[in-house]
Amino acid sequence: MSDFKSGFFVGGEACNGRVLVVDDEPDIRKVVKMTLQKAGYDVLEAENGEKAIETINSGENRLMLDVMICDIRMPKVNGVEAIAYFRSNYPHVPLIVLTGFPDTDMATSFLRQGVVDYLVKPVEGEKLRSAVARAMEQRELARL
Amino acid sequence: MESSDHTKVAILGAGHGGRALLDLLHQIPSIKIVGIADRDPEAPGLQRARELRIPVATDVPDLISNHGVSLIMDVTGDPAMETYLHAHKPPTADILSGSASRLLWELIQHESKLEAELLQAEKLAGIGSFAAGIAHDINNPLQLILGLAESLAEERNLSAVHEQARDIIEAVKRTSAICRDLTRYSRRASPHEDVLVCVNGKLDEALKIARYASSFHDIEMIKRYQPGAAVKGNPDELLHVLVNLITNAVHAMEHVGGTLTVETHVLDGLVDVRISDTGCGIAQDKIHEIFEPFFTTKAPGKGTGLGLYNVKTIVNKMHGTIAVASEIDKGSTFTLTFPNAEPTGQGCLS
Repeated sequence: MSDFKSGFFVGGEACNGRVLVVDDEPDIRKVVKMTLQKAGYDVLEAENGEKAIETINSGENRLMLDVMICDIRMPKVNGVEAIAYFRSNYPHVPLIVLTGFPDTDMATSFLRQGVVDYLVKPVEGEKLRSAVARAMEQRELARL
Repeated sequence: MESSDHTKVAILGAGHGGRALLDLLHQIPSIKIVGIADRDPEAPGLQRARELRIPVATDVPDLISNHGVSLIMDVTGDPAMETYLHAHKPPTADILSGSASRLLWELIQHESKLEAELLQAEKLAGIGSFAAGIAHDINNPLQLILGLAESLAEERNLSAVHEQARDIIEAVKRTSAICRDLTRYSRRASPHEDVLVCVNGKLDEALKIARYASSFHDIEMIKRYQPGAAVKGNPDELLHVLVNLITNAVHAMEHVGGTLTVETHVLDGLVDVRISDTGCGIAQDKIHEIFEPFFTTKAPGKGTGLGLYNVKTIVNKMHGTIAVASEIDKGSTFTLTFPNAEPTGQGCLS
């Protein structure tokens, strides 16, 4: 397992995995990226569900994307629609929901759909990194 | 906006009672005040009449005989006036004097108090639906602030520290603006505060508030403002009207998206405010019901059914009219028409 990961390089640096952050707020993408890059992750960004679907379907991302972090309230394809798409087309990519509006019913429904974590903004860097680390473990298991 | 079925009223006596009557009757579109008279040229009611551009009469016999008056309201409290009126009033005019005038004034005031209560209740019920929008708009900057602060704690580079601190300050300012907008909107409309209101500025304010009530995602917005659109009225109540109409327009396009157009036109002494959507539309057999109290097409718990009823009440109070054109699956246009309070547009160039 670790052998597989060690073969993955981005920009000449060793990488702990590739994460796609989907959020319509550039500020959120900026801090999430900053927080995860410090933990050695390679971070891609998408501003809505439509862009996220485009990103995951382009080039090597189809294979190399490890974890997705997705907002709910977004233009174009919103989080609910995007998550349904990813769960059915990319069931091996673990999903983390990061939302500004906690909703118990929605959280339950997402967790039932196999979403790994349901985080509510503002979330501490440590909590976010450990959620991503857990999701990465799931991703590794899916590769076996 | 004038018609022959107006009740034409003359008010005699412009003390505090006369002034209060003037304020209340002035708000009722079916009543036209043809003039107010008082012996004292400095009486408070006469000052108010000049502000409202209501004729101030100096000659009582002329006022009661020559203007097609159908109702004379005597609040002078002077028995000689009562005797004079009974002897000289035109046969078609009724007289309301003394305690009857006071009773009417009390009834109208009671009703306007109830109306204000209803308005506030409906507004507060609406604010309940802002929760998702408020949470979104507060938690996003909080996420930025938290992320930046965590990063600052480890940052060694001084210029990066300065930049991140600046970003935090900006995010805090954005967040506090949300609370300011909402507390301003949620407060009770101050009673009888008729002032000059710039419609274009109010529309922008309403668009900001309406974003909390409904998601503007996937909605293209077109603004066409004509400068100088000014109306007389209560600014808090006009804001409430505009928030209501914009929120309805956005709800009509929920899930499918569309175009929201907000326009103002100033023409021939009138101000038109038009709010259009390209949403689901209103069925022709329902269109006459939409201004009725408790009519709603929204799911239980989503609408009070009082929104458009209150909108119409406020618009009428401002001597305006409301019209709607709608087609199923094409969209709706609500047009408000008010007398232009500032024909030259000098005070209102927003």
